[in-house]
Amino acid sequence: MAKILGGIGTSHVPTIGGAYDRNKQNDPDWAPLFRGYEPVKAWLSVRKPDVLVFFYNDHATTFFFDHYPTFALGVSAEYPIADEGLGPRAVPPLRGHADLARHMADALVNDEFDISVFQDLPIDHGVHSPLTLFWPPSPDWPGKIVPIEINVLQHPIPTPARCWKLGQAVRRAVLSYPEDLKVVIVGTGGLSHQMNGERAGFNNEKWDMKFLDLIARDPKKLTAMRHADYIRLGGTEGAEEIMWLAMRGALSPRAKKIHQNYYLPMTTAMAVALFEEPGEKPAAKKPRASRKPSRNAAQRARAFA
Amino acid sequence: MNPQLKGTEELQGTYLFDLAASAKALRLNRFLHGLTAAQNRANFKNNPEAALDKAGLTAEERRMVRELDWVALMRYGASFFCLEKLGRVKGVSNPEMVAGFRGETLEEFLKTRNVPGAR
Repeated sequence: MAKILGGIGTSHVPTIGGAYDRNKQNDPDWAPLFRGYEPVKAWLSVRKPDVLVFFYNDHATTFFFDHYPTFALGVSAEYPIADEGLGPRAVPPLRGHADLARHMADALVNDEFDISVFQDLPIDHGVHSPLTLFWPPSPDWPGKIVPIEINVLQHPIPTPARCWKLGQAVRRAVLSYPEDLKVVIVGTGGLSHQMNGERAGFNNEKWDMKFLDLIARDPKKLTAMRHADYIRLGGTEGAEEIMWLAMRGALSPRAKKIHQNYYLPMTTAMAVALFEEPGEKPAAKKPRASRKPSRNAAQRARAFA
Repeated sequence: MNPQLKGTEELQGTYLFDLAASAKALRLNRFLHGLTAAQNRANFKNNPEAALDKAGLTAEERRMVRELDWVALMRYGASFFCLEKLGRVKGVSNPEMVAGFRGETLEEFLKTRNVPGAR
């Protein structure tokens, strides 16, 4: 059966991908960002997931407002890199896990989460700008993805609580996949930023820190908030944080935040947080001689007698 | 009003992209979104007026695009994410666009940032 190893919340600012493409790893202006992704990269290289399931948003790149999907699941084996106005980035096409994605489509729809699906549409920086920092191609990507697009551009956008429920449904869908697959859930976007109006350039470091705390410790507080709260506290584009909620909803309540990084150089607060699910139950310890064997141990002992 | 958004009307200098804005600026946003295709970019660069004609934009929409009047475009109902495509074609960076929205020069805006070189 498929299992979920953990989750990643990450900003998806296009300049993150741009800094990677321009080899800015050692540039003092960018090094604190890259350093913050190193533990995530190391964790992935040890845990070796087969698939990353991405909650991300498109930026009116692939989808347009003549039909903007609230939720859309990619079910293809390959996704081209989108052209966002400068030609596509020079990274390989993203590889999709089509079989898992098709299973997820069945599971979600039968679970009354009537998601739309797309095939081989191009995918923009909402997925691959952070991806290059923690799962870089060398030369091809280390594994496959399943992309789930969420509308955060055109109101009405789905509520924080709904995104949480989507995450829970995705968890059920992944865990019911019959093959042995190791899966990590990623939610991209945020943290505080605003890209419109005279309030553009708004940030709120205090709120960002609170969000990073609550997403680990008490995510229900975040799902109870309205979009107006997110916009007031984190700017209009701070609403992207609902994709972190979908990621967190797909993890178990016992998942632990084991790393985070925060860097606010320009217009967007760039954060990354890594969550790990508790490991498999360790092998049962041998009962100490002085301790009365538990009933189960006694039963097991009888079975072997 | 969408109950999820109640209270945002009190925020100064904030333009939410909703279905009314989307309907009003649909043609304009469609033109901007079209700049994700290399052929459309080439057409716009080679003969901007012909490209704007083909998109069926009004005189005011054309003026805003021609003059890169970011504040007016935003107020009119353009999606920032569609404007970004125009920015890329014209070689205007996001910090320059944000400075424009704020009514600042790029230099003035960068002075308000923690790491002005991170562009």
